[in-house]
Amino acid sequence: MKNEITLQTRREFLRSTILGSALSWTVPAFLANTIASLQSEAADSSTQIVTGTDNTILVVLQMAGGNDGLNTVVPYSSDYYHRARPTIGQTANSVLKLNGDIGFHGAMTGFKSLYDSGNLAVVQGVGYPNPNRSHFRSTEIWQTASDSDQVEKYGWIGRYFDSCCAGADPTVGVVVGNQLPQSFYAPKPTGVCFNNPANYRFLANQQTEAAYQEMNGTDMGGSGDMTGGGSGGGDGQSVASNSGDSIGMLAAAQPMTGGRVEDFIERTALDAQMSSDKVREIASRVQNQATYPTSQLGNSLKLVAKLIGGGLPTRIYYVSQGGYDTHTQQAARQKQLLADLGDSTKAFVDDLKAQGNMQRVLVMTFSEFGRRVAENANAGTDHGAAAPVFIVGNKVRAGLLGRYPSLAPDDLFEGDIKFNVDFRSVYAGVLENWLKTKSAPILGRQFPPLQIV
Amino acid sequence: MLNPLPGERWNYETATHLLNRAGFGGTPGDFQRLSDMWHENAIASLVDYEKIPISTVDPAWAHPDFQRVEALREAVKNANPVNAKAMRDQENRLQASRILELRGWWLDRMANGPRPFQEKMVLFWHGHFATSIDKVRNMPNSAYLMWRQNELFRRLATDNWLRLLIEAGRDPAMLVWLDQWQSRKEHPNENFARESMELFALGEGHYTETDVTEAARALTGWSYLPLYQSFTYRPEYHDSGSKTILGLTGNLTGEDFLAQVVRQPQAARFITAKIWNFFAGQMPSPALNQALAEVLTNNGYQFKPLMKVMFRSEEFYADSVIRNDVKSPVQWLVGSTRMLQCPLPPPFISSAILRGLGQDLFAPPNVKGWDGGMSWITTNTLLDRYNDAATIVNGTAQQLSPDDFARKAGGKGGDRLAKLAQRIHVGGVDVPKILTPEQCADKNQLVDALEHRLLQSTLSEDQEKGLRDFLSSKQVLADADIKTAVRLVMSTPEYQVV
Repeated sequence: MKNEITLQTRREFLRSTILGSALSWTVPAFLANTIASLQSEAADSSTQIVTGTDNTILVVLQMAGGNDGLNTVVPYSSDYYHRARPTIGQTANSVLKLNGDIGFHGAMTGFKSLYDSGNLAVVQGVGYPNPNRSHFRSTEIWQTASDSDQVEKYGWIGRYFDSCCAGADPTVGVVVGNQLPQSFYAPKPTGVCFNNPANYRFLANQQTEAAYQEMNGTDMGGSGDMTGGGSGGGDGQSVASNSGDSIGMLAAAQPMTGGRVEDFIERTALDAQMSSDKVREIASRVQNQATYPTSQLGNSLKLVAKLIGGGLPTRIYYVSQGGYDTHTQQAARQKQLLADLGDSTKAFVDDLKAQGNMQRVLVMTFSEFGRRVAENANAGTDHGAAAPVFIVGNKVRAGLLGRYPSLAPDDLFEGDIKFNVDFRSVYAGVLENWLKTKSAPILGRQFPPLQIV
Repeated sequence: MLNPLPGERWNYETATHLLNRAGFGGTPGDFQRLSDMWHENAIASLVDYEKIPISTVDPAWAHPDFQRVEALREAVKNANPVNAKAMRDQENRLQASRILELRGWWLDRMANGPRPFQEKMVLFWHGHFATSIDKVRNMPNSAYLMWRQNELFRRLATDNWLRLLIEAGRDPAMLVWLDQWQSRKEHPNENFARESMELFALGEGHYTETDVTEAARALTGWSYLPLYQSFTYRPEYHDSGSKTILGLTGNLTGEDFLAQVVRQPQAARFITAKIWNFFAGQMPSPALNQALAEVLTNNGYQFKPLMKVMFRSEEFYADSVIRNDVKSPVQWLVGSTRMLQCPLPPPFISSAILRGLGQDLFAPPNVKGWDGGMSWITTNTLLDRYNDAATIVNGTAQQLSPDDFARKAGGKGGDRLAKLAQRIHVGGVDVPKILTPEQCADKNQLVDALEHRLLQSTLSEDQEKGLRDFLSSKQVLADADIKTAVRLVMSTPEYQVV
């Protein structure tokens, strides 16, 4: 036990000081203790204690590539809509009607069922002033919560961790994938990434592993409680890395911290080593209780459900689905993606309900932009602006939130619908009502929080 | 700015830095040979690569294939839907196997070819004009299209900026990738117009939305003939009306548009910043960027003189630059085989490794290419690097479970591939080739030799102790133990740095 404290302290020490790497790997006990007490004294009152069993959890689901919101939440009674979309428009007969004017794309049976059971909120017309139509820039704006004319380096999730979860276990943030999204960037980045828990470890015989741990400074805490299976552990599920899309997972990365890159790699190595045993143990022990589509998103959510069920002390999970950049022949592609989105999310909700954890979990989707109102000559759509955001949970204010943006040509701006709800109001609502923290320090200023729960 | 490195600072360390960054590293002998030359000659030996004879054989299928593509098209047209799908699937499998061969072909040029700098530039341009097979594969004979683009980057590796932009824009794989080939005056497709300004030549904020729509009009007519697998200009698609792009008005064509782009001072700043970042591992200061841009413009927008000035400059050898960049997965893989003098794993294993580490050649994640730097390192990819090290060192892929392999290979056929991988033994590290009998016999000498060869630096005291403890636990060091020691050194943060 004592050893574990030392390890924890050492990791915090590395995180909390730029001098961390200049010190030798073995931190003398008296020094570690001093740092620990100093840190607890300095602890910010906004610091949240994460236990893994009773906190609320946010799952961020990125729909990468710019989803065509108009063909997702369809204004099927609008003449403007059908005039702008003679080829790819969805008809009154094909949509899943939510009311006399609006319906889900016909492939979204999963979402329709969540909507009907009061587990789904549709925030209509979400965007931001002076919309940017570049994938990268607009993704960056969503990830950093910046104004469109300001470039911000750090992400809104990273800032949340920084202000509320300082010193927490690295698994307080979990990205299913290979790359840390920009929303996680922070001066002291927090969070781990993995695809496949079974191989999320240093694979070697015992002696080699022991040498590796000694060389990487992680032998002090011992791995005595290592319960995870070996490389045969897990259930054979795996999550493919970026699917074959022209726009896969979008991450704009520049070095997150100043100084030597080696310091950053050391911290990452330590986080990997610390989280590896636990993640593997949970993934091999917890069973899913719902059937998921065999897609990348399905596999990702399947894994997240296991980790929630196993009590990993995580506040924010991040998964992504790519392929929404439908410049040509949109119909078949988007249908497949939306079906996957709905079915995977529905299975996830069923799984969490069976676990008894659904009341703790909120899913929020986002896409960097919607698409132009008018279709193009290739039966596709080009980059646009506002689009709907979906929020799924037991306690959500279910139904259609906000109002549908007008499609009347006079109401459009450069061929795009105008936003009604600033995406940062959605973030503010999630931060204040769900993660129970002040949003202004994280979003830079106070946005009116959208009441979502 | 950009003063030559003082002569007394040209030594083994700076020579190592040059070969690591301008190429893919090498052995202690390679570094020594380079440092024995004059600095200018060392640079010329890399950058004036045209003088180095080369005898690479192109893949057998690397040519347009009108007959086969036409026959396939006819057969698909006349077949029932089930057979048509089977034929398309077969074509996809054929092209996928060729892409795998292409990856091996290129990696071999990087690892074993006589012109490492040229290949480093090809890697730069591939990441810059990032084009992915994931969309290009919708075209028949797609592997040829990817090879052809790769050859374009090789041919123009250090050529002229405008020429690169125009040829890359008219390149078939690019025309397909960014939809330009389907753009017509009635509904211009903005994809290439936008990305060429945002990501290829100017950067966000240096053009307006109007410039995008006007450029899309100018570019109409640039198209592609799937049957002949070549560029074509279609006058009937072209919008011949007047446009205004970046302040220039007239009946502008695609070429006129790109020429106007390059006339912007920002175009030189943008590309030189990106090149500096790729080779030096960090963005240049505004003053350094301006100096680099001036070198490019003063040399007729030719890249070769710029590269020579960069590699000669004091700034390139600053303390904050040397050993302060993360190895890209390609650098990690190719560099490892070069420093260990061991063979590259076969293409399907190399390909799986690179995919897992986040740099799938010919399949960048998006049109922005790979972000590079610290974004290569996550908890996941770091552990993968440590495990893949065992694959390279031992010459077997037994580390990889079928499940892991399925993920790395892209989710399909993982079981079969993993079984195949289990049987493959490519040799791995040949201990006598990289260590003398004396070094193998003396544990102190061994640690020094491993650090010298693998890190060109040293481990920390505690890491060294860990390595020594491991070696001390063995009475006699067998080759397998030495290989484990090599893998252990590769499983450190230090090894990920270049």
